[in-house]
Amino acid sequence: MDCVNSWCAGLFQARRALRYPPAVEPPTELIAKPAVILLDLNVTSREAALRALHAPLSRTPGVLDAERFLRDLQERVWLSSVCIAPEVALPHARTLSVERIVLGVARLAVPGVAFDGEHPHVRLMFMIGTPKQSVEDYLRVVASISRLLKTDGVHAALLAAPDEAAFRAILSRGATA
Amino acid sequence: MNVVPTLPRPLLERLLRLLRWRVWIQEKLQPTEWQITLLWAALAGFLGAMVSLLFTVLTEGIHKFLTGYDSGVVETMRMLPWWARILVPAAGGLLAGLTLLLGKRITRGESSTDYMEAIVIGSGQLPVRPSLVKSTAALFSIGSGGSIGREGPMVQLAAVIASMVGRWRKFSPPQLRLLVACGASAGIASAYNAPIAGSFFVAEIILGTIAMESLGPLVVSAVVAALTVRVLTDAQQLYRVPAFQLNSPWEMLPYVVLGLIAGTMAPWFLRSLRKAERWFVATSLPLVARLVLGGIIVGNIAIFVPEVCGNGYSVVVGILNGRVAWELLLLILAAKWLATASSFGSGAPGGVFTPTLFMGASVGYLFGTAVHTVWPGGAVDPQAFALVGMGAFLSAATYAPVMAVILLFEMTLSYDIILPLMLCAVIGYYTAKGLEGQSLYSQALKRKAAEVPAPVLPTGCARDLMKSNPPVVAATAPFAEIARMFLGVRVNNIYVIGPDRRFLGAVSLHDIKPYLGDPDLAGLVIASDIVRDDFPHIGPEESLQDTLGAFLGRNIERLPIVDPDDGKLLGSLAKNDLLLALIETTKSTKT
Repeated sequence: MDCVNSWCAGLFQARRALRYPPAVEPPTELIAKPAVILLDLNVTSREAALRALHAPLSRTPGVLDAERFLRDLQERVWLSSVCIAPEVALPHARTLSVERIVLGVARLAVPGVAFDGEHPHVRLMFMIGTPKQSVEDYLRVVASISRLLKTDGVHAALLAAPDEAAFRAILSRGATA
Repeated sequence: MNVVPTLPRPLLERLLRLLRWRVWIQEKLQPTEWQITLLWAALAGFLGAMVSLLFTVLTEGIHKFLTGYDSGVVETMRMLPWWARILVPAAGGLLAGLTLLLGKRITRGESSTDYMEAIVIGSGQLPVRPSLVKSTAALFSIGSGGSIGREGPMVQLAAVIASMVGRWRKFSPPQLRLLVACGASAGIASAYNAPIAGSFFVAEIILGTIAMESLGPLVVSAVVAALTVRVLTDAQQLYRVPAFQLNSPWEMLPYVVLGLIAGTMAPWFLRSLRKAERWFVATSLPLVARLVLGGIIVGNIAIFVPEVCGNGYSVVVGILNGRVAWELLLLILAAKWLATASSFGSGAPGGVFTPTLFMGASVGYLFGTAVHTVWPGGAVDPQAFALVGMGAFLSAATYAPVMAVILLFEMTLSYDIILPLMLCAVIGYYTAKGLEGQSLYSQALKRKAAEVPAPVLPTGCARDLMKSNPPVVAATAPFAEIARMFLGVRVNNIYVIGPDRRFLGAVSLHDIKPYLGDPDLAGLVIASDIVRDDFPHIGPEESLQDTLGAFLGRNIERLPIVDPDDGKLLGSLAKNDLLLALIETTKSTKT
C-alpha cells in the first residue's frame, strides 16, 4: 500500500512539475487594495468613464504625469479592445508616466457604457498603469484581474456590493483565494 | 471602434494550445541553433551517401557497358585482348572529353567550382551543372579503367547536394560553407566507409580547425553517411588485412626510415603529376584529344601490366595480404606511377587519393622486403610496412597526419600497428613539408585563391552576416497574430515595428509563456502592450567583435540590425553565423 501511495505521490509531483504554463505569483496586495474605488459612477460615455476614474487615480503616489497617463490610456483603448467580458473593461497602459503599478476600480451605474461595438454595457472598469520597463508585472496584473473575475461569484458580487467596504472585501477575498 | 480586429475565441484557444506545445517541446528538448545545424548535417550525410552510392553504381554500369564484364577493373583488363586494353581507356577518354566539351554549352559560362574552393575561399555555393558535367565525365574516365580514383567525384557530388540543400534553406555563407563541408565529410565517409577519417579529412585539410562548432556537424554527417552505406550495402572495412603487430622495438628504426622515404617520395609523386599535366597542356592538343591520348597511354601500359588500371585498390589488397611478389610489384609501381601521371595529366576527372594509397603501400612493402632480406629481425612482416607506408605516404601527400592515421585505422581495423603508423605519418608529414611547401590539395587551392579577386570571408561588420526579412509584427498586432508567428518560425523574440518599419523592440516568448493558458488575456493584449523597447540592437557597420559583445550576457540567438540614422529595421544577425565567421576569420588570419 505504501508503495502505491509513494507511486501516486510521485506521479502527482511529476504532473505538477510538467504542468504548463508554470504558475505565476499573483500581485495579491495590489488587487486587494486598489488605490481608488468609485462606485456607481454615473457617466454616459467611455471617454467620460475613463476621465472620471483617471482623475482620482492620477493623484495617487506613483503617477508622475497625469496628462500623459490619460493620453496613453486613451490611445490604448482606441487601438484595441480592452474588454475581457461583456461587462468588464481593463483600460491599461504601459507608460512612462507611472513609476510603479497603479490600479483603480470603478463600478458604473446601470446600464453601463459602451466601450466598443461588442461591449455595449460595461459596468466594471479596472484602470491599470504599469511602468514601461516591466512587461512581466504588466502581464501579471492583467492576468490576475482576468482570473479574479472568472472566479465563481466574484463578478456578480462586485456588481451587487452595497458599499465600498463590501466591494473592497470581495476584492480582498478574491485576490487571496 | 477599435483598429485591431479580434479573433474568434475557439480559434484563439487552439492557437494558444499549439503555442503551449511548441514552448513545452522547446523547453524540454531545447534545440539550439547548433542542434538544428546538426540535423541539417545529418541530412547532408544521408544525401551525400546516396549520391556516392549512385555514383558507384553508375561507374560499374559504365564499366560493364564499355567492357562487357562486371568484375573489377583489373580483372576485366586481364580478360580483355590487347587491342581492347587500349581501346577501352581511349574510348573512356573520348567520352569524358566529349562530355566536358558538350557540358560547356549547358553550363553557360558557370565556372566548375571545386568543393574545397567553395568552402575555403568561396561562399559555399557550388554550381550544380558544371559539377554534374564533371562527374559524368569522371564516370567515363573511371569506368573505362583510367588510373585515377573515384573518391574525388563522389566527394564533389556529396558537397554539391549539401550546397543545394543550404541554398534551398537560404543559409548564410558561413552556414553554407559548413554544410558543404559536411557534404564532403559524408562523401569521404561513404567512399572509404570511414566516418572518423571523413570528419577529420575535412576538419584538418579544408577547414584547418577541429573546433567543435565545425567538427560536431562534420562528425554527424559522416556517421549518418557511413550508416546509410552500411544499411544499403554490405560494406565492411575497405581492406581486410591479417593481424599485424610490432614484433620488437627495434622495428621502429626501419619504420623511421620508411617515414623519411615516404616523406621524400610523396612530393616527387605530386610533382610528377603536375609535370605530366604541364606536358599534356604543352602538346596544344584539344581537351578531347588529350584525354584520348591519356587513355591510349594507360591502355598501352595495361597490355603488359593490367594492374595499373583503376584506382589500385585490388593491388593494395594483394600487397597487404602478401599475394604480390616484390619483383612484380617493382614493375607495377613504375607502371602505375606512369599511368596515374598520364590519366591525371591528360585532365581525366577523378581523384588521386586512392592512387596515393597505392604508392604508399608499394613503397612500404618494397622497403620492408629489402630490410627483411638484410635484417630479418628489423622487418619481420613486410606487409606491415606496406600498411604503415600507406599512412606515411598519405600524410606526406595531404599534410594531414591525423586524418591519415585515422583513415588507415578505419580502413583496416588493425590497431596493433598504430605506434609505427603514427610515428611514420608524422615523420612523413615533416619531411614532405620541409621538401615541398604545398600538399596534394593546397596546390589547387592556392591557384584558385589567386584567381579569386576578393574572398567572401566577412570583412568584419554586421552587414556581411545580416539576414534580411526577420519575423516582425506591427505594434498593433493582436496576441493571436504573435502566437501564430511564434508557431511558424523558430525564434524566441519577434521584432515589433512601427508603420514606417521603425524598430520598436521585441516581444519575447519568455514573457508570454506563463500566460499561454489564458485566452481572456490573449484577447486583451496586443504587441505594443508587451514589447520590450530596451531590446538590444546593433548598427549595420558594427564590427564583429562589438557584435559579439552585444550577445554577451544575454540569452538571445539573434540581434536586430537597425539603421542608426532613421531607426528602421534592416535585418537580423544570428549568433551561430557570427561564431562561424569569427572562427573563419581567426583561421584566415593565422594562415
